[in-house]
Amino acid sequence: MTGLSKFTLRNGINLFVHPTDKFKTILVQLVLHRHLSEADATACSLLPSVLQRGCGMYPTRRELAYKLEELYGSELMTDVVKKGERQLVSFTLDTVDDRYLPAEGNLLRKGLGIMKEVLTDPVLDGNGFKNEYVVQEKEQHERVIRGLINDKVAYSLERCLNEMCKNEPFGVFKYGSLEKLQEINPENLYGFYRRFLAESPADLYVIGGIEPNEVLSLAEETFDFPRASTAFIPDTIIRNGAGEVRYVHEELDVNQGKLVLGFRTGITYGDDDYFPLLVYNGILGGFPHSKLFQNVREKASLAYYVYSRLEKHKGLMVIAAGIEVDQYGQALEIISQQVENMAKNDFSAEEFENTVRGLRNQLLVEEDNPGLLVNRALDDTLAGRNEDTQSLLSRLAAVTREDVAKVAEKVHLDTVYFLTNKGGGQDE
Amino acid sequence: MNNTLENRLLAEKITWRRLDAGLEVFVLPKPGYNKKYATFATRFGSVDSRFVVEGEGEELEVPDGVAHFLEHKLFEEEGGSVSDRFARLGASSNAFTNFTNTAYLFSTTENFTECLEILLDFVQEPYFTEESVEKEKGIIEQEIRMYEDNPQWRVFFNLLEALYQQHPVQKDIAGTVDSIRRIDKDVLYKCYRTFYHPSNMAVFVVGDVEPERILGQVESNIGRRNYRPLGEIRRIYPSEPPTLAREYISQELVVSQPIFNMGYKDLDVGYEGERQFRRELLTELVLDAVLGSSSRLYNELYEEGLIDDEFDAGHVAEKDYGHTVIGGETRDPERLYRRLREGIERAKREGISEEMFEHHRRKITGGFLKSFNSLEFVANNFLAYHFRGINFFNYLDVLNSLTPEEANHRLRSHFGDDNCARSVILPKTGTQNSKLKTRE
Repeated sequence: MTGLSKFTLRNGINLFVHPTDKFKTILVQLVLHRHLSEADATACSLLPSVLQRGCGMYPTRRELAYKLEELYGSELMTDVVKKGERQLVSFTLDTVDDRYLPAEGNLLRKGLGIMKEVLTDPVLDGNGFKNEYVVQEKEQHERVIRGLINDKVAYSLERCLNEMCKNEPFGVFKYGSLEKLQEINPENLYGFYRRFLAESPADLYVIGGIEPNEVLSLAEETFDFPRASTAFIPDTIIRNGAGEVRYVHEELDVNQGKLVLGFRTGITYGDDDYFPLLVYNGILGGFPHSKLFQNVREKASLAYYVYSRLEKHKGLMVIAAGIEVDQYGQALEIISQQVENMAKNDFSAEEFENTVRGLRNQLLVEEDNPGLLVNRALDDTLAGRNEDTQSLLSRLAAVTREDVAKVAEKVHLDTVYFLTNKGGGQDE
Repeated sequence: MNNTLENRLLAEKITWRRLDAGLEVFVLPKPGYNKKYATFATRFGSVDSRFVVEGEGEELEVPDGVAHFLEHKLFEEEGGSVSDRFARLGASSNAFTNFTNTAYLFSTTENFTECLEILLDFVQEPYFTEESVEKEKGIIEQEIRMYEDNPQWRVFFNLLEALYQQHPVQKDIAGTVDSIRRIDKDVLYKCYRTFYHPSNMAVFVVGDVEPERILGQVESNIGRRNYRPLGEIRRIYPSEPPTLAREYISQELVVSQPIFNMGYKDLDVGYEGERQFRRELLTELVLDAVLGSSSRLYNELYEEGLIDDEFDAGHVAEKDYGHTVIGGETRDPERLYRRLREGIERAKREGISEEMFEHHRRKITGGFLKSFNSLEFVANNFLAYHFRGINFFNYLDVLNSLTPEEANHRLRSHFGDDNCARSVILPKTGTQNSKLKTRE
């Protein structure tokens, strides 16, 4: 990525620094990588919540929150995401750049001090985490797992991918399962934590108005915990589609039906075919000018939202739309027609050019957002891409219609998932 | 002719001008950013449901959801949609409608001048046909249906229905499936004529741009349209009694656990401009001290398993209405309600100390500075506050002028017994298990 300096800390953590004066904040994100597996996913996603309950210096949630607020509302956030068959746990510190607070100094250093404590000095009871914290966070985690259903859009997407990849690690829910949650206790979670911190491949990203050398010395001070050799993470399984299509209808008492189509592309971010696929997806459903939006929404008035999206590390594409339950057949037909048109290379020069311009715009604006910059750097790390924005833009500009036609042959429908209302499953 | 607004702490400076037709144009240069963002907004939102139609003297009550419907239809032009023209230039266009405003916007990294011209043109050149208006109804119906399944959205609008007896703020912004069926071309033009005059509108441009060029371009676009001055827009709001419509409202949806919102209706309204701004910031500070992440109450509720880290509290202040909304998911809405009421009473007794007050002021200061990373955030908020007669750049000055005495007074007067309503979404009984059918 543009202007990214790379270092390796003494304990093996990779450090990426993007110095820029554009932002009012300095963003520090530590990302630990795990193989996505049923065995570990639950502990891995529960762990950051337990760590956020307190540390040696600030042993309660409240004291920790108060201390961070004191640093002009610095935030220490954790997140769990799934990219390909990796579960990525991130710890993010977002602080105001001292330049905007003339009376203040060293906000970043102070914030990093807290981050270090939270990561390395959890509150313990004997050989495990403090029991009360684990019990409470397990209850919260159970609600998170059960709560997926509260957001029907997210639920339907997760369910489609889960059905589609049920025999692959990718089918594992990033928050794990209730069964595994039951098995967790303060001792085994602490054991997991020790391995997690010592063995997980780790990347540290820093974005803001700060010199790389200064970041390096701050990072050495902060993330100086001992590490063993990093755990091996198997490659994500990439399958080419072309088998029989599966149809899954799920009935719940809902007002709107959610149609989700899962495809295999077999193409991932590191492949040469990735940019043609990006253009393919853009023409099909990435923009308001795309085929799906134009035909399903504008022409047929069947949906408010309809789009296609790539999972760039697993080689998948999904199409999603919210529709009236009794219009399942019609919506599926129009969507299938658009996918077929893509396979026949049936799109105009204007559809092609508008898409390339739109994608160019998207790549450029990523540089205006610290979070998106980190996300791109992370994608690059995962895929082994080491290119700046200009290089990505020239790859995009080099894509031809023929390239798009070639990738279209690799896109295969795998699963059609429909969330419908009670009794709505009969209409196929 | 040009004016400037500067904030030294933020190191930001806006250049602005009021054009002859009454349009106000603001430009904030952000060197180094690739993105350029422009928004063209009007003071017309879902609460403007009764007004005197411009040029007719006729008082009109419009179907719910008309401002939002108009927002959708303004993208229509002869032979297609204006978003195609943005797409050809590599830009991304969009719009949104809220309670009080409608905004049209685009962002782009190239062809900015052409895009700005398109934005200015399409918002000033409505084109609706009977056929296209009918067609839009299917799309908006699905937008409404999507929100019908969204428990966070439902719990919030149900709460507004409990808080307000008359005021249209309780109506869903998109209207209902029934109300939008009553919308036609004629009513859209009436709304357009009344609310889309430049004197009721403003433009904000942010990005790596030269203010003088932007101001000149907007001036020449508006100038060639020969607008005649518009008198005052007569909006008619019902007089809202201080009492609640209902104390409690509940609805069942397919959810894993109850979702709870509690609201306090602001009985002390009628303020405008900077006074309204002060009250808003003051209330936000009080909420942060009493219910924020580091508060005693929040942490007690969290440890009791009654709230999760999505629990939130916020305040809305407008001239003729205002409310505080507190809530999130919970396993036990009855207990949470009792505990919140007790906890707020305790906070009123104990008060907010000078130290706590300074602490939360400091946190809010940092949050404001951070928010300036986002061009969209700055542009959208600047205009929303501007339409309320508030200079958003004065945020920190106003925040710094608040006192602990005022905060304690606000705490003790706003959170009463009679102005508190609650709304709960309950899990639909017997529907937690879905039925699955698979065909290979």
